[in-house]
Amino acid sequence: MSLTDLLRTALRSVSANKLRAALTMLGVIIGVASVIAMLALGNGARAAVNATFQSLGANQIQIGQRFAMEDGKFQPTGKTLTVTDGLDMLSAIPLVERVEMSVSKAVKARFGKNTVEISAIGMTADAIEGLVSSGDIQPVGWESGVPFSTEDLFSDGRFFSTDEVYAGAPVCVLGHQTALDLFSGDNPIGETIWVDRTRCTVVGVITELESTDVQERYRSDPNEGLLMPISAVIQTLYEDEPSVYMVVHVTDANRIDEAREQIANYLRERHQIEQDADGNYLDDFDMLTRNDILGQQQEAARTFSLLLAAMATVSLVVGGIGIMNVMLVSVTERTREIGVRLAVGAKQKDIVSQFLLESILISASGGLAGIVLGILAIPLAAALNQGVALLYPGSIPLAFGVAVLIGIVFGLYPAIRASQLDPIEALRYE
Amino acid sequence: MSDATKEAVLRTEKLTRAYSMGGNIVTALREADLTVHAGEFIALMGASGSGKSTLLNLIGLLDRATAGEYWLEGKPVSSLRRDELADLRGKRIGFIFQNFNLLPRLSAWENVALPLAYRQGEFRGQDQLDRAREALARVQLDHRLDHNPTELSGGERQRVAIARALVTQPAVILADEPTGNLDSKTGIEIMRLLKELNEEGRTIIVVTHDMNVARHASRIYQMRDGVLKESEFADVAH
Repeated sequence: MSLTDLLRTALRSVSANKLRAALTMLGVIIGVASVIAMLALGNGARAAVNATFQSLGANQIQIGQRFAMEDGKFQPTGKTLTVTDGLDMLSAIPLVERVEMSVSKAVKARFGKNTVEISAIGMTADAIEGLVSSGDIQPVGWESGVPFSTEDLFSDGRFFSTDEVYAGAPVCVLGHQTALDLFSGDNPIGETIWVDRTRCTVVGVITELESTDVQERYRSDPNEGLLMPISAVIQTLYEDEPSVYMVVHVTDANRIDEAREQIANYLRERHQIEQDADGNYLDDFDMLTRNDILGQQQEAARTFSLLLAAMATVSLVVGGIGIMNVMLVSVTERTREIGVRLAVGAKQKDIVSQFLLESILISASGGLAGIVLGILAIPLAAALNQGVALLYPGSIPLAFGVAVLIGIVFGLYPAIRASQLDPIEALRYE
Repeated sequence: MSDATKEAVLRTEKLTRAYSMGGNIVTALREADLTVHAGEFIALMGASGSGKSTLLNLIGLLDRATAGEYWLEGKPVSSLRRDELADLRGKRIGFIFQNFNLLPRLSAWENVALPLAYRQGEFRGQDQLDRAREALARVQLDHRLDHNPTELSGGERQRVAIARALVTQPAVILADEPTGNLDSKTGIEIMRLLKELNEEGRTIIVVTHDMNVARHASRIYQMRDGVLKESEFADVAH
């Protein structure tokens, strides 16, 4: 029999028992909806990570000193993560492309009679690239989403160079507001200011910036503060060497785990990290990659996803059994019809196709309804999960495929049974 | 041309069908020899349980013999597989049943076209409709193409079933008590139709209790306890 004939037969048979078909579909509908909602949760977690942590590139590893609760206070543990740790890492590990480092210290800056209390941020020359590419800030009035270069960041002067970082040169770059506060509108370039008890020459002024996140604008002002070579900050502003925060760029994002392992071993050796009884290293530093953040986010979505997965599995199996049951009933009810079809020349595969197509029609219709229900349920799933859920486009063909598969798997046995009926007994069936 | 020189449409030789029932072997048909030539009208008579349905099922390729051989249009069928039997049955046998056996959800023409629908790729949709209309015209029902069986009278239903048996131009039409579910007037109309079809050259085998039906036959066979015997009309009538 041609496929169109078969489809017409299946459609008629299903529509002759609409209520029965609809009830049979319920399991598949719920199962498919669960699949859609489940994948939306995972996808939402991923999207949230991508949006929030764009600043951490796929080839980047954040490294900071480990903090732990000690004597009721949150304190750094072990040895300090130093600038030299970072600089030497560059030559020790070929996979490391560059190391951005920064420290931050509250200081008093003074020029003439003007004094401000601000943060002095010590950083490497590379780190400005990280600031530019982070997407966290932009020049005021800049069209959001449009990339800008390091030059666009400066209203006057320049950023300090890598040589100046190595030399610990006493130079600084002022934030827009800080420049105004100290110089009252005069040109600060080339002037010398006091930062705590150290002198430093102003080489650049950053243009007026705003946070790209509107809510963030009320919390901190990116225009207050000054930037200095990290070495200069550490040499002149600290009595003890402070711990730095690093962003390591790896040459190949695909080998980030390998680089991470090498960096860990490098730091363990330098800091003489010991192992506990179980052979675990008692690291005094923490490393974070985009995958770690993703993992944390997904961990939250996972419990709920598991619940949905269990619900999907149970619903689909129960739905499948329901379909099998209805198809067995249908085969029994239509024994005589099968006999007539066999008498006029139907082959076994014709009968199998007829009933299989009917069960696929039921399960696929359930699948379509389930997809609609699932999409409608996404906001609900997000609310219950206190998280983000975003329709994963691939889940639609996947869910539909699962529904069709259920129809095939659970329809096969009734269909084969129908095709094996004895034509004489089938014709005689009352 | 005499019957003997015509090619036999079907021939059986010592055709036997035995069943195993609760450990006992029941022989429903015992070494039946039957030769039917093209254009014959055969009546098969006998009490219920005498084995006439068993013989009809074997001739109709719905069942397999346990012994003996059966040639349909010169071709031995005992070694054919299930699907080969189905194929041959669909193409060369036309069935008419006592209870019509029309599919309730199909229209008259779709019921008639059903045997064509199972012949993969041979008949397209329009082809099927044309042939079904032609067959329905032969039974004077071409004005009821789109009616469902439930909208037709008993006589009309049986005529649709006859059209279904005609549509494939089969080698033989097998009618099992075709008037059994009809009132006598309608029964006579149906028998007249079968007689006409026979006069047009169709080979027909009718299983019946009805003397009036047997009267139309060119030859009469009687079944008793699984044994087939050719009879004269006069023998049967008394």
